[in-house]
Amino acid sequence: MKKRTRERLGLAVLNIFFIILCFVTLIPILYALSVSFSGTNSLLSSDFSFIPKSFTLANYAEVFTGEDIMTWFGNSILLAAATVFISLAVSVPAAYCFSRRSFPGRRLVLRWLVLLNSFPAILSMFAVYRLLQPVGLVNHRLGLIIVYTGTMAVFSLWNMKGYFDTIPLDIEEAARMDGATDLQVVTRIVMPLAKPSVIVTALMVLIYVWNEYIYATTFMTGEANYTLAAGLYALQATEMSGSWPVFAAASIVVSLPVLIIFFLCQKHMTSGLTAGGVKG
Amino acid sequence: MTMKKQIKNVLMSYLVSGPSLLLIALIVVFPIIYTFFISLTNMSVYHWFDFTIIGLENYWRALFVFDSGFLSALLATVLWTAVNMVIQLVIAFILASLLNVKKLRLRKLYKTLLMFPWAMPGYVSILLWKTGVFNSEFGLLNQLMEALGQQTMRWLSTNVSAFICCTVVNLWLALPFMIMIMDGALQSIDASYYESALLAGASWLARTRYITIPSIKPIIAPAVIITVFTTFKQFDVVYLLTQQMGARTGSDFHTILTYAYENAFVTNNYGYSSAISIIIFLLMLAFSARFKLAGEETL
Repeated sequence: MKKRTRERLGLAVLNIFFIILCFVTLIPILYALSVSFSGTNSLLSSDFSFIPKSFTLANYAEVFTGEDIMTWFGNSILLAAATVFISLAVSVPAAYCFSRRSFPGRRLVLRWLVLLNSFPAILSMFAVYRLLQPVGLVNHRLGLIIVYTGTMAVFSLWNMKGYFDTIPLDIEEAARMDGATDLQVVTRIVMPLAKPSVIVTALMVLIYVWNEYIYATTFMTGEANYTLAAGLYALQATEMSGSWPVFAAASIVVSLPVLIIFFLCQKHMTSGLTAGGVKG
Repeated sequence: MTMKKQIKNVLMSYLVSGPSLLLIALIVVFPIIYTFFISLTNMSVYHWFDFTIIGLENYWRALFVFDSGFLSALLATVLWTAVNMVIQLVIAFILASLLNVKKLRLRKLYKTLLMFPWAMPGYVSILLWKTGVFNSEFGLLNQLMEALGQQTMRWLSTNVSAFICCTVVNLWLALPFMIMIMDGALQSIDASYYESALLAGASWLARTRYITIPSIKPIIAPAVIITVFTTFKQFDVVYLLTQQMGARTGSDFHTILTYAYENAFVTNNYGYSSAISIIIFLLMLAFSARFKLAGEETL
């Protein structure tokens, strides 16, 4: 009997510990949420609470009606869509090829791709800038799209090659026996099987573009050309104190799609991140 | 297979993987080569077109002139990586173990809530920390200090406190991933090991040391190596919290990446910055070779 009470007490303590831990962990997000719903004037008061005293949607209204933010949203969507499309269009065939075919130079290229994957893109940013400037691609959306697809190309190729490797060859051979052509094998058999990997890769590229601010602020001038990430960055860098509630509201709005995507495919997240990278 | 068909297949392979490889060559490989070329010149904002090749002078300055700041940034980065990794592994291990306590019914809810920092866009979180927590006017920390009757502080203005703040934020961002990896690894251990250990009277410490740690080591190793890399390459946390262009907080704490960035885009020392980039790249290559990165066996 006594052992049982002790066990119960232990569990209660553990539950309280986790409740406090979760709350502490979420404080920055909860605070932003609270600030985003409160009027500007209640901000600098010292008696702070997580439940806003004067509830208002004005900050969100400003996010959705503010001309700048909607332009940035449009830019982000455009860049993300173009980048995801080009990334998949070039890397799906390449990944399949590297997984299934053998050709001279294959191992060498793969080995170099691994090494390149560890190169932080930011280190060659100046070189990229200097290369793109003479051809007029700096301060041009196409320039950013090229940079983004190039940066994510190594990841996409590796990630999907890793997945193609796990699809058994027998399935393809069986289809060939039945008289399917190479193209049919790929479009009817392999692609449907590889769907999860394609989706995860597309989402990773999408999230990368959605969150990228350093290229976007360095390569683009003029706020009309900014993406959401770059705009949000600019929003907090200038006229700080006045726009903090709007910034908080914008942060929540920008994060929501990413949060939804994350929790929808949480299961694939770890494998999506590790399958192409490192194997033990 | 006939010779002709084989050649056709090889050509087809090149054709199909061509666009992807071309893109990588143009946007990843060529800029690295170009960075190497710039590193051999005195290119700067004053020498945009009329730069001259000066050999290895930039490398000399980075590696042998201590005042240049690269060596101290490198040292700080190593310290940063070590501190972050140790704390992260210990906390993740403890929390994952606690999450695996039997009869913890709300486990799933806790896990989901603890995943939030990972799910949020990183830069948004960092900016929220900067303005919501560390800001000297309306940040939570200073509100707390005021409530406690203490002096308010500028948290990001000195090296040591900036280092601590950056570490806290980095841990906040990185722990969910590590907890999830540890959690998965702990669940994969065969329960019968523990049962026989308990029968033999092994203490918790002994069980942890001889069963838990050896069993999870190979499983978490890849994730740990990835995390060492991302910690070493950390840019966003340090840059967004303390080194933002035009909004520097006064701390001199640099990781090698923020240091390279500052020399390229703030002080416009392109040649020198490129030399730093190449040195970092070589360090990474050596590191990858040491840990035999990425599925060599699947090639």
